[in-house]
Amino acid sequence: MKQIAFLAVLAAVALALPLVIGENPYIIGILISMLMMAALSSAWNILGGYAGQYSFGHAAYFGAGAYTTLILLTLYNLNPLFCIAVGIVVASIIALVTGSIVFRLRGHYFGLASIAVAEVVRLSVLNFNFTGGAQGILLSDVALWDLDLNSKTPFYYGMLLVLVVTLSITAYLRRSKTGYYLQAIREDQDAAASLGINIYFYKNKALLLSAALTSVLGSLYGLYIRFIDTSAVLDLRLSIEIILTAIIGGVGTLWGPVIGALLLVPLAEILRSNLIGDVLIKAGLVSETSGVGLFLKGSLANAHVLLYGIITVLCILYLPKGILGLFRRKK
Amino acid sequence: MIQHLLHISHVSKHFGGNVAVSDVSFSVEEEQIFGLIGPNGAGKTTLFNCITGFFPATSGDVIFDTKKINALRPDEICKLGMARTWQRVKPLGSLTVLENVMVGAFSVTTVAKEAEANAKEQLQVVGLNDYATKSAGSLPIGLKKKLELARVLATRPKMLLLDEICGGLNHTETDTILDIIRGIRKKGATIIFIEHDMKAVTSICDRIVVLNSGEKLAEGTPGEITTNPDVIAAYLGGGHHA
Amino acid sequence: MSFLQPLISGILTGGVYALAGIGMSLVFGVMNISNFAHGDLMMLGMYLAFFAFTLLHIDPYISLVLIIPISFLFGYMMERIFINKVIHHPHQNQILLTIGLGLIMSNTALLAFTSDPKILTTTYSSSAFTLFGDVSVSVPLLLSFLITCGITLILYLFLSKTSTGMALRATSQNREAAQLMGINVAKMSAIAFGIGTALAATAGALIAPTYYIHPLAGHTFLLKAFTICVLGGLGSVVGAGVGGIIIGVVEAMSSTYLSSDWKDVIVFLIFLAVLLLRPQGLFGKKGGQ
Repeated sequence: MKQIAFLAVLAAVALALPLVIGENPYIIGILISMLMMAALSSAWNILGGYAGQYSFGHAAYFGAGAYTTLILLTLYNLNPLFCIAVGIVVASIIALVTGSIVFRLRGHYFGLASIAVAEVVRLSVLNFNFTGGAQGILLSDVALWDLDLNSKTPFYYGMLLVLVVTLSITAYLRRSKTGYYLQAIREDQDAAASLGINIYFYKNKALLLSAALTSVLGSLYGLYIRFIDTSAVLDLRLSIEIILTAIIGGVGTLWGPVIGALLLVPLAEILRSNLIGDVLIKAGLVSETSGVGLFLKGSLANAHVLLYGIITVLCILYLPKGILGLFRRKK
Repeated sequence: MIQHLLHISHVSKHFGGNVAVSDVSFSVEEEQIFGLIGPNGAGKTTLFNCITGFFPATSGDVIFDTKKINALRPDEICKLGMARTWQRVKPLGSLTVLENVMVGAFSVTTVAKEAEANAKEQLQVVGLNDYATKSAGSLPIGLKKKLELARVLATRPKMLLLDEICGGLNHTETDTILDIIRGIRKKGATIIFIEHDMKAVTSICDRIVVLNSGEKLAEGTPGEITTNPDVIAAYLGGGHHA
Repeated sequence: MSFLQPLISGILTGGVYALAGIGMSLVFGVMNISNFAHGDLMMLGMYLAFFAFTLLHIDPYISLVLIIPISFLFGYMMERIFINKVIHHPHQNQILLTIGLGLIMSNTALLAFTSDPKILTTTYSSSAFTLFGDVSVSVPLLLSFLITCGITLILYLFLSKTSTGMALRATSQNREAAQLMGINVAKMSAIAFGIGTALAATAGALIAPTYYIHPLAGHTFLLKAFTICVLGGLGSVVGAGVGGIIIGVVEAMSSTYLSSDWKDVIVFLIFLAVLLLRPQGLFGKKGGQ
């Protein structure tokens, strides 16, 4: 009962938030990033957290969705929903190729191969012409349904919807045969096989599901930002951000990725937007023209990746079960 | 006519140049408790791995329930009704005891409620019901062995392969497990039993095969085996505790 | 163009790749850890060579005398402070830790040295001589290759003749058994990581005169080093040596006959093909584990 009340409050807050903050595009932008990262990390979590198969190349599926959707839209101006669906197909094909190569192997191979596949995808997109190469793709004046192009709010609800769907799937999986099987595979593959679990099949199932959801998010992101290039949607850094979000919140838990995104996205935003430097300068603590001031303004904006590195190291050493791991009661 | 549930025919397993199992044949009848014994390194566990699909046999056939299963994967073999336990127990550490058994139960149902009911029933059988919500990784070894047993029972096997299920247990624990096994057989399951504890084997088995250095040394009833001079020389005289 | 041209430059570059691959393979063999910071350690070697040259006016090849001990110590300390804390963790945590350390290194370099690529120009950077009539051989590449061969030989002698080397190999073959035999496996891990780091940094320094030096250069080299290790067989030092040469040649061939844009794609496709067809690698023993 308590749980349902909690979820109802959460849903109400999430739905009402855009109405409360109005149309402040900056805040809405950060909220969209949070929802997207929470959903991406939750989708990764199905494969990485529950099945224990750490993918270090999820950017490939995100990019597959974003690129497929934008290419189809700019070239043929098809129905966006159809484009998203084709994106899912493309991502699924990449996932199936990866899965069929490496899921017969054990140990470090899946992690390594997932990066290799992602790099093949990234470099191919960079080298082909129809993908816009290094220039990327700009979705200039294509109308999406009847949406107001200047409003971000529809994308807030779009991302929220995908997040809710992803969390619902995860919640359902946890209590289903597939969820138990994935966790068994994570804990001990031999034991899992001896209990009748087709390891290969279930790993691929988790990968496909995870890749499909990730690709939808990539499509939405492309439609929302209206400009993509390989460094935005296919970079290894994105793959690592997705994992890190799950790790910080708690891998293999329902809410871990959401908590991770609530913390990490604003943190990165503070650094990226140079908030710290601005505050220090405005408060008169640092002179804008001094060496420190210039450094803060010029370089600190790039420091969020450094911060990710530091957080990753600290998290693995001192908080390997994430924030939710702290609150888990010991059984 | 005698029903052979499992028929092992000239099975060999080589690892590179090493012969771990060499030309072993025997048959197991329905509802038998069949012992597989031998000194350390005799190839017992390797033979289990060949039968259950973990390492396919290099040559020879494994026929289960009139079906040739040499080339099948472990999960397919489990689905046919043959389940195994592990000498080195393999609990799914971060799941609860009940969830561990449910994983086994899902091989016969897709409905979580049914799996849970089945799992609870098996926990009752092995006497672990008080531990249902404990995490499996935290159990002491004796209870982990019982958990292994409950988990394979939940797959509703026709045949159970138990790899040193009493290993590392004290007498009382061993007796409890043996009682459980007798109970399982009464319900119609067939059991192959790898064991070091000679007393346990002779007290429970209908028939015994002795392996030594990968080869079959002897086969017979417990009475025949304990008086067989070859067995005494190789097994009992070999410095291995009985 | 002669077929020999890409073959020879491929072998020369491949030698340096091999050095990086051997470093990674050694770490993998002894510690069973995939070191995702390996490429960034190479990047550090590049910058060390660059600053030794521009600030101290030491020739990049001579500067190895400094770079090798410095990077060994750096790696040794890195293992002691960070890596050994996760040696019994699941391997994904080990990977993430080394990814984190790599991000710290590359982004610190980015803050300190900016994202402008640096170029290390020596007097002989673009000098070359001709062989067999029309095959041009780059002098810095040849020098790098010869130094690589020397270092590999020293490493080989160290691993096969010294007691520490033999203890390293024993740990690589069976960590538990090595421990039972009284080998200090924790120390071996730190030494292996130190050597691995030194080899990565050396490889970085050796390619510094022929590459752009950039804080994020490690990324490409990391994946190459992995491909080399998997191709040779994870943990096999000999395999990594051969794998490095093969990858160097494949790269040079695909640049010549296809396009240099696609050479990395070809390398990663080979990586995937090896996983599909021969996951134990060319020199690996165990399959699929």
